[in-house]
Amino acid sequence: MANVTLSKVRKSFGAFTALEELNMEIAAGEFIALLGPSGCGKSTTLRILAGLEFPTSGEISIDDRRVNDLPPGKRDIAMVFQSYALYPHMTVAENIAYPLKKHGVKRPEREAAVRQAAELLQLEPLLDRKPKQLSGGQQQRVALGRALVRDPKVFLLDEPLSNLDAKLRSYMRAELIELHRRLGKTMVYVTHDQLEAMTMATRIAVMHGGRLQQFDTPEMVYNCPANRFVASFIGTPSMNQLEGRVEGGAFILGPDRIAIDRTMFRDDLADGPAVLGIRPEYIQIGRGPLQATVRLAENTGHETILTLELSEGSRITARVEAGSRHKVGQVLSLGLQNDAVHLFEPGENGARLNKEQTGAAVIPMRAQ
Amino acid sequence: MTAIATDPPMLERRYARLGVVLIAPTILVFSLVIVYPLLAAIYLSLFSIYTPTLQGEFVGLDNYAKLLTQKAFWSSLGTTLIWTVGTLSLQILAGVGLALLLHQNIWFRSLARSLVLFPYFLSTVVAVLVWRWLFNDLYGALNHGLMQLGVIDMPLDWLGSMPNAMIGVILVGAWKYFPFVVIAVLARLQTIPEHLYEAARIDGAGPVSRFFDVTLPQLRSVLTVIILLRAIWDFKEFDLLYLLTGGGPVTSTQTLSLLVYQEAFGLNRMGQAAAYSVGMMLVMLVFMILYIRRTGRES
Repeated sequence: MANVTLSKVRKSFGAFTALEELNMEIAAGEFIALLGPSGCGKSTTLRILAGLEFPTSGEISIDDRRVNDLPPGKRDIAMVFQSYALYPHMTVAENIAYPLKKHGVKRPEREAAVRQAAELLQLEPLLDRKPKQLSGGQQQRVALGRALVRDPKVFLLDEPLSNLDAKLRSYMRAELIELHRRLGKTMVYVTHDQLEAMTMATRIAVMHGGRLQQFDTPEMVYNCPANRFVASFIGTPSMNQLEGRVEGGAFILGPDRIAIDRTMFRDDLADGPAVLGIRPEYIQIGRGPLQATVRLAENTGHETILTLELSEGSRITARVEAGSRHKVGQVLSLGLQNDAVHLFEPGENGARLNKEQTGAAVIPMRAQ
Repeated sequence: MTAIATDPPMLERRYARLGVVLIAPTILVFSLVIVYPLLAAIYLSLFSIYTPTLQGEFVGLDNYAKLLTQKAFWSSLGTTLIWTVGTLSLQILAGVGLALLLHQNIWFRSLARSLVLFPYFLSTVVAVLVWRWLFNDLYGALNHGLMQLGVIDMPLDWLGSMPNAMIGVILVGAWKYFPFVVIAVLARLQTIPEHLYEAARIDGAGPVSRFFDVTLPQLRSVLTVIILLRAIWDFKEFDLLYLLTGGGPVTSTQTLSLLVYQEAFGLNRMGQAAAYSVGMMLVMLVFMILYIRRTGRES
C-alpha cells in the first residue's frame, strides 16, 4: 500500500497548458477516479504518474519517495491501457509473465505468479492463447493480470472499460470493485464516465481545462458540487441551473419569486445576480409557485424525465415516477424542495455559495 | 412462379459474364508476355539452336543433360547464391537500421526520408558509372580514401580480382536496393501502436528489450515478405552485374542471368540458354512457392 502525492504539477505542450498547478494527496489504499471531459488533463495526470510524460514543473511522489526522475519501470506501478496493449505475438501466459521476466524473476516463481493471477481472474483455460483469439472482456482481464502479477504499489487504469459493451462493462465494474477490496492497493482510475467514477471510487477528482475542480467523495461531489462545472458534469440528467438574482430571502427568476432559506448559504451572500441550481429529483410537480409547460416526457422504464419550460422561457428537467401521465403542452405548477437548493456565483464556472453540507436533501449512495 | 425462381441465376450469369469481360485484357496481356515466352523457352530448350538464324535441330533432353553434367550451371548457381545472400543480408541490415533511425524524431527527418530513396530511383547505368569511377584502381576515390586512412598501402583492383569483385558487386547491390527495405519497414514501424512501447516501458523493458520484444515481432511478417521478394529480384538481377563486371573476372561474378545471356548471345547457343533459364526458373519457383504460401496465409 502506498500513498501518492502530486504537488504543484504543471504540464504544458508548447504553448498549450494541459495541467495547471495540480495538487493531489492520495492516501494508501484509495480508489481514485480522475473524471472529466476529453482534454481536461486526466489522462495527462495519469501518464505523468506513470512516468510516460514528464511534468514541466512540480513534484510527484509514490510511497513518500520522489519519483520525478525514475523511469516507468522503476516506479513500482502497473498500468492498464484503454487498448489493453497486450503483446500480440505472446501467449496470455507470456503476456502476464512479461513484467516479471523484465524484473529478473526466475522462471518457477514466474510460473507460480502467473498461475495465481490466472486463477484470480479466471484465465486458466486461456493461458496458451494469443490475444487476438480472445474477446474484449478476456483481453481486459489479461491486461489486469499483467498489472497485478507484479504486485505493484499503485495501479493506474486508463479508461479500461470504455472498449467493452454495456453489459460487460457493468460486470467488469463490479469485478474491479471486488478486486480493489481484495488487494487493498492504491488505484488511480481515469474515466469520462461519471457512473464508473460514482460507483467505483472512494474519492473523485473532477477535472476541467487542466484544473482540479473538486476532489472529494462521490457523495460530496454529487451533493455539494464545488462549482457550476461539477454541478452540471455530475448527474444525469444534469443539475438545473437557472440564472437570476438574489434579493433578500428570495431568488428572482423573471416574474417569479422563489423563497430561499438564507441560513443555508454563506454569510457573505450578497443581493445581486446568481445562479440557482437544483437537481431534477428535487422538483415537486403539482404544487408550488412556478408555472411550467411540459415540452418533452421521456419514459426510461423506471422513471420519467420531464423537460419543462418555465414562464420566463428557461427550460428545466424534472425526474418523476414512471407511469405519471404528463402530456406535452400540459401546464403544471411546480416548486423546488427548499433544502435541496444550491446557489452559485454567476459566470461559466461560478463557485458554490452554500454552506458546506447543505443543499443535499438526501444522500443515498453506495457505502465503500 | 418460374420467372421468380429463374431470375437470380440469370442475373448471376450476367455478372459472371461481365467478370470475364473485365478480366480478359489482363489475361490476354499476361498470356502474351508471360505464358507465351515461358512455353517458348521450354520448347526452345529441346532444340540446338544457332541464335542469329534461330534455326536448329531437335535434340530432346540433351541440353538438360549438359546442364546437369557440366560445371557451368552449377558454379553459376553457386555464384548467384553468394551474390543473393550477400547483397540481401546487407540490404536488410542497412534497411532495418536506417528505417529505425528515420522513425526517430531526428532533425531533418523528412529530408532524410526522401534522400534515402535516391539510390533506388537512380538509373542503374548512372549508378554503375559512378561506382565504377569510385572503384577504379588508377584514380578511384575509394582506393584514395582507404590509402589516406592507412587501411591499405597500395591501390586495390576492386572489380578485376577476386574476392574484391564479388564484394564490390554485393556492396553496390546493397546500396542500390536497401531503400526498398527502408520504405517497407518504415511503413510498418509507423503502424506499431505506441501503447505497446509504453506498456513495455512500464513493464520494465529497456530500449534493447523493446526492440526484440515489441518491434521485431511486429516487423516479422513484413520482413518475411521483403526477404522473399528481394531474394527473387536479386536472384535474377542482370543489368547491375552485367554493367559492373560483366561476370568477370573470367566467370567469378557470372550469375545465372549472365550465364543465360552469355550462352544465348555470346556463344549463340539459344537452345542451351533456354535450358539454363528453365533450370533457373525451377530454382526461383522455390522462392515463389514460399512467397505465395506466406502471402496466402497472411490474407
